[in-house]
Parts: sequence; C-alpha cells; structure tokens
Amino acid sequence: MPGSFKTEGVVLRSIRYGEADRILHLYTAERGRVNAIAKGSRRPRSRFGGRLEPFFRLDLMLHEGRSELCTVTGAATVDGYPALRADGDAIDAAARGCDAVLRLLDSAEPNRAAYGLLCRYLALLDRGAGADGADAAGADRHAVGLAFRLKLLLASGFAPELGSCARCGEREGIVSFSGAAGGVVCGSCEASGFPVSAEAHRFMAAAIGGPIAELPPVSEPARRQVDRAIGDTLAHHAHVNLRAVA
Amino acid sequence: MHPAPVDRLIAELGKLPGIGRRTAQRLAFHILRSSDEDAFALATAIREVKERIGLCETCFNLAEGPTCAICSDPRRSRELICVVEEPQDVIPIERTGEYRGLYHVLGGALSPIDGIDPDDLRIDELVRRVEAGEIEEVVIATNPTTTGEATAHHIGERLRDRVTLTRLASGLPVGADLEHADEVTLGRALTGRRSV
Repeated sequence: MPGSFKTEGVVLRSIRYGEADRILHLYTAERGRVNAIAKGSRRPRSRFGGRLEPFFRLDLMLHEGRSELCTVTGAATVDGYPALRADGDAIDAAARGCDAVLRLLDSAEPNRAAYGLLCRYLALLDRGAGADGADAAGADRHAVGLAFRLKLLLASGFAPELGSCARCGEREGIVSFSGAAGGVVCGSCEASGFPVSAEAHRFMAAAIGGPIAELPPVSEPARRQVDRAIGDTLAHHAHVNLRAVA
Repeated sequence: MHPAPVDRLIAELGKLPGIGRRTAQRLAFHILRSSDEDAFALATAIREVKERIGLCETCFNLAEGPTCAICSDPRRSRELICVVEEPQDVIPIERTGEYRGLYHVLGGALSPIDGIDPDDLRIDELVRRVEAGEIEEVVIATNPTTTGEATAHHIGERLRDRVTLTRLASGLPVGADLEHADEVTLGRALTGRRSV
C-alpha cells in the first residue's frame, strides 16, 4: 500500500545510480528485503551523510510509491560499526556475509531471526576488527563466517540434518555429508555424499546449536568440509550459489 | 512508429546511463531539429573520442597517444603518486590546484559482492611503479566508501614498508551542517582534528 513507513534495516549493498543517487539493497526487521533509492545521497552536503554505506544499521523512513523502489526520506544511525570499516579483512568478511543474506533471503517477508543474526555478526566483526583475523572472543574470523552461514541456513529454513543420517535416520557411523539428502549420512548411505570428519560434524552442530561467539576450534581441512556442506545444501535446496566464505 | 534511422538513434541514445526511452526520444528529436553543423559536430566528437583517446601506458589515465598530459609534463613531481579509482577522479583533484604529483588509475574498487578482486584492478602495475624506485609517497585517494576503504587497505598491505603511504583525510564537507553528519564521518573528523 503506498505511503510512508518506518523500519530498522541494514544496508547490504549500495549501487551508484544517476548523477548523485544510490540504489540500496536493504534487509529490514519489519519487511525483509527492501530495495530503495536515496536521491542526492552522493552529494557531499547530502543530509544522509555517509550513513547509507553498506553495513550501516539504520532507523529508516521510507516512502513506498508506485515504483518497485521505495524512496529513502530519513535515516538515523543505530550502529555504524566504525572499527569494522577500518579493517580490510573485516570489511571483506562483512561483504561476504551481506552477499549471503542478499542471495538467500530475497523475499519481502520479515525474518526477525535472520535480521538479528546479521546485526550480531556485524557487531562481532566490529568488536574483533584489527585483531589480526580473530574475533572479539579470539575465535577465527573464518570459522565465525561459517557459523554465521550455518545459522543463516537455520533462520531461512534450510538447516542441514546433523543429529542422524538424513537418509535412514541411523545415529551412529556418520561418515559423509550429502547436499542432496540434506544433511549427514551414515556409512550405508554414503554413496551420494562426500567424507566429513567428526571435527567438522561437531563444529556444524555447535555452530547451529550454540552462540556464535562460543565456537569450538576448527582445523583448515574441517573448515573446507563445512564450507562445502553449506554450499551443497544451498545449491540443492535453495538453488543458490554463495561466494566462498574467505 | 518512426522511420528506421530515427528509431535506431533513439535505441542508441537509450543505451546511455540514466537515459530512459522517453528522454532518448526527446534527445533524438532535439538532434533532428538542430542544424546540420551541430548534429555532425556531435557525431564527429563521438567518433574522435573513440578513435583517438586511449589509456596512458604509465598511469592509465585518459590519454591522446601512449602517455597522458600529466605523465608527460616535466613540471610534475615524479616522487608522488595519487591513486584514484577512475579517470574522472583525476579532475576534482586537479581542480584543487594543491597537487603537483602523478596519478595511478586503478580502474575500479575492490568489491567481493560484485566479484571485483585485486586481479581485476591495476594494483600490480602500481606496485611495479613503486618498485622502480623513483616514488617516495603514494597518496591513496580512493572514494571514502566501503569498497574504496577496502581497496585502500589492500594497497596499504601491498606497499607497506616500501614507500610512504598516505590516505586523503575524512571529515565534514565545507558548508555542511554538523547535525546532518553521520557518526563515522564525524568520528573521523574528531580523530583527525587539528590545532587552530
């Protein structure tokens, strides 16, 4: 329905448009994915200042007209994550996280869990910025990125089955992961999957079930398996291909 | 609806950025109404720019010939390089009249979302210019956007300990209201405050 509305949202992507405008891809708390135009926002004296850059968490006033794009009429900063912006690796991790949200959550349906997760992830990157590849709690930023994606799968309804074999329900002898089956598979059903170590399996379960800041340590080979498990799950069930986590 | 050449002109004008079909139509009719001299001057200018303008072999700025006017100017300081994203970014820096060094045009900015990686930019060429030995300072003047900052960090990593690296200051635009400034810009303005 045309008219103005308020919502909180995160800028996922900002595209230069025309002489001084920007088109914003937003993920909002109340309306899910929203695309909007911010007129004149690239002018140095714009009243929006620099707060329409990617990763800003904002209180937004948007006007919905007949066009597919809303118009940004007001924006106040909830969190600008300034430390994140001063760390090249943290910017890269945040951009890949926002890209995952862009590709996976493209509907205008609100998803509070996904919105909260995105805000917490950006806050975690901000607190750990400048700490040489580790987050605030000392966890590896790459592992945190994987945990974010696993939780995003959960929030979007694509969480893999990790408790028992996704084909036969067997709880023991888990040896593989199958994107087609939608989770881990046992030795008898392993034909469709790729080998997954106990360490990778434990990491996935901990990442989905526990706080993102309390991840168990994970080795490089196990990380690669987790990354592949996420990629295969999304490719089979959401028809989405994500960029590598790092 | 229109004769074929007019439709072709509308279609070609409509390919320009920010030009929709209706604007393209208005421009096409303006060209039709204008004198032969003006219309042919426009056509010649387009042809000329495509035939004669390329990129400078040294800095990748626009050039008529192998080297741009700035790189061939003997009065420019050879110890200083200003790194910008696009050729059009050279113009506002030149307009300040404050800068007398050379440039290096990257051809964009890093953006993982858009799939633009370091290999897609002219960063290796910049490193080679620095390694050649004459450069004393590199001024990173990428845009103060997220992608521009990511690019500045990457260049900083590549050139650290090889040359003096500086970044354009961030702060409040002259004539702006403090109340409209965002927190990141104002924070940087405070960090970079100077004594008066």
